[in-house]
Amino acid sequence: MSITRRDILGFGAGAGLTGIAGAAILLGRDAGDAGGGEQIGMDDVLRDPDNPVLGNPDGALTIVEYFDYQCPYCKMGHPMLTRVAEEDGDIRLVMKDWPIFGAPSVLASQLVFGAASTGSYEPAHTALMATQAKLSEDQIRQVLADAGIDTEKSLDAYRAERDKWDGLLARNSAQAAALGLQGTPAFIIGTTIYPGALDETRLRRAIDQARRA
Amino acid sequence: MMTRLFPLSLTLALVLAFLATWATAQTHDRPLQPQDAFALTVTRDADGELALTWRIAQGYYLYRSQLAAENAAGESLPLTLPKGEPYEDPYFGEGEIYRDEVTAGLKTAGQPVTLHWQGCQQDGICYAPQSVRLDAGGTVLPPAAEPAAGWSPQEAAPAATPDTAAATGSGLTLAQDQGLVQGLAVRGGGVLVVAGFLGFGLLLAFTPCVFPMFPIVAGMLARQGESLTARRGLLLTGAYVVAMAGAFGLLGIAAAWSGANLQMLLQSPAAIAVVAVLFVALALSMFGFYDLQMPVALQSRLGRVAGRRGSVGGAAALGFTSALIVGPCVTAPLAGALIYIAQTGDVVLGAAALFALGLGQGLPLLAIGLFGPRILPRGGGWMEGAKLAFGVVFLGFAIWLAGRVLPGPLTLALWAVLLVGTAVFLGALDRLDGDATRNRRLGAALGVLLLFGGLIQGFGAALGAHDPLRPLAPLAGGTAAPAAQAPTQFASVTTRAGLKQALASGGDRPALLYVTADWCVTCRAIERGPLADPAVHAALAGLAPIKLDVSDFNAEAQALMRDLAAAGPPTMVFLDANRAEAPGSRLVGDLDAQALLASIGKVSP
Repeated sequence: MSITRRDILGFGAGAGLTGIAGAAILLGRDAGDAGGGEQIGMDDVLRDPDNPVLGNPDGALTIVEYFDYQCPYCKMGHPMLTRVAEEDGDIRLVMKDWPIFGAPSVLASQLVFGAASTGSYEPAHTALMATQAKLSEDQIRQVLADAGIDTEKSLDAYRAERDKWDGLLARNSAQAAALGLQGTPAFIIGTTIYPGALDETRLRRAIDQARRA
Repeated sequence: MMTRLFPLSLTLALVLAFLATWATAQTHDRPLQPQDAFALTVTRDADGELALTWRIAQGYYLYRSQLAAENAAGESLPLTLPKGEPYEDPYFGEGEIYRDEVTAGLKTAGQPVTLHWQGCQQDGICYAPQSVRLDAGGTVLPPAAEPAAGWSPQEAAPAATPDTAAATGSGLTLAQDQGLVQGLAVRGGGVLVVAGFLGFGLLLAFTPCVFPMFPIVAGMLARQGESLTARRGLLLTGAYVVAMAGAFGLLGIAAAWSGANLQMLLQSPAAIAVVAVLFVALALSMFGFYDLQMPVALQSRLGRVAGRRGSVGGAAALGFTSALIVGPCVTAPLAGALIYIAQTGDVVLGAAALFALGLGQGLPLLAIGLFGPRILPRGGGWMEGAKLAFGVVFLGFAIWLAGRVLPGPLTLALWAVLLVGTAVFLGALDRLDGDATRNRRLGAALGVLLLFGGLIQGFGAALGAHDPLRPLAPLAGGTAAPAAQAPTQFASVTTRAGLKQALASGGDRPALLYVTADWCVTCRAIERGPLADPAVHAALAGLAPIKLDVSDFNAEAQALMRDLAAAGPPTMVFLDANRAEAPGSRLVGDLDAQALLASIGKVSP
């Protein structure tokens, strides 16, 4: 087969056009969908695959709470929240760790994530949520040990999957920033943001509203 | 430049649109904005001590234990705090809080400080930690760029974990502009990345750095003489282009394996010296001093197989080395691709993208191979003349390259030598007979012009000028000097602590962080060019210019670059008064005064 000038011209023009089209598509897409790093979709917030789920994992309604293990109002409302979710039976409860009270809070999240890796998310999480607001690192270890969690193993388990858990924490924090959350607790029920603590009346009303929407 | 294709404003617009679909619950006790819940005022009393007063909204409280102050070096400063109200709620544990108002005393010794506080709405929300910076005089610097779409200041990020505390220490907020390659890979997959890089390559083919490739290719073809056919021309240029693209691809693979910053290698004086010498060798070959050829054994072997194909290998070798030349030119996309590869270890995609980039740059060259034989007249004296011309161009290119590392006057002297030499060969000093041909006269005229230019370059060298385009600048010094002779004074830092210090002493001015290094030749060009521009100089007056010298590429320098998410020098990061990077302002690689001014404008009040 001999290559003619025409073949080559055709090929060259084709390759050139492909390149230009590629660049155009790409620039167009940038303008069109703003390509930045902070684009957050519903599923990122409601269904982060790495985040453990409480309540009914197959529930039709999702309640997300951004919380900190040292945040007093997160913990005060927690028994009520889990009770309501359990009674309802159709609620996925997603507790998103957003440590804003410094190093002890971060350690608490890390240890609970480690416990999650070994299948003990719920007891570890519940034990810490039942504490008073301020926690020292020693107190956190003690509370978890009392709940039957081996904190050394948990820390090792967390470290073994550090990318996954640190990534989850980073995403939670980025979402909180992007959604304009000021602090903890902050709830997302259905597609509505409720900053601050909710009493049972408001929580139930919010759930009804989300179901009607 | 590519990083600026992702303006944050668009991102913000999108988040806004997104938020619109997230109807926010309207309730009567919706928490206040933190700055309204805890309003800070600062006054200075007689003996210079600062009185920090937080007016606390009804139903809100501040934690005594979370009030803190620190200086720019991160050392905590003692606050004089009144006793707080013991909090009775069992959930709070032990501790004290303030309601209504609290005033703390702080001795700052005249240095800038950062204040931290944290509080809650009673039975409502506990805010993420808040902070504010005060300048040396105690004036509150404006809060971080107001969350147009509900973006909280970065302080909302979780405190560094004990294990990762070293991650960032500069207290800077980087813009969320996403890297070119990441963005493409996420959105369009590998195909779009490769197609995009092909397109970028094509665009880059029309930048000055790629121009030298045209004479290289034309010179390569010219040496073929009469035997050149369209097919053979294309074969040669094709080999050249594919080899060049291959070199880029290899660069990608090497980057993935080593994780090292290979750009440094491309920009090293050694690499430049090698390429410059290569060009001189090419030029001498053009002048007919010798023939550059493949080893005879190899040549004859190839010759047996496919006639005179030996020089295809030569073309490929030439193309491979040519990649070095454009390397410094394509810093931005190259840096993006290399960083992505180094981070993800995605060798295939990275190498494919860079290969496409090289291919795109080479496409226009194929046209020369294709049409060269038809356009260029065949054989004879013309071809000899063309060879000589290319030789001169090659020498010029070698000087241009070497000028990045050689002292200015020496560069001018080399230009003088080249111009004068060329002029003499063109017959500038020959006597023209009455019956001289038109071409001869044209040549002589050109020669005289070159001679003139060469002499001026020579004078410039003697005067100590640095810019070949303004060889007599030292003479004009009397009038132009005030603007030109006082280059912007950069504070130079090499460590994170140093950067912190420099940023602090910059006060509430926006800051320019300029990542540079001795071995970065593009940086030299920037310093001589756009940074020396009087308009840029004037615009920079309102900024705190800080030079991050990473010449010594040690752990601290690497940490600095990691903190800034900088691929390597030259990178310019523009921080506003709150030390947050202005979206879309970052400059990577070679730049012009206009780009610089635009970015300065984004952080200047």
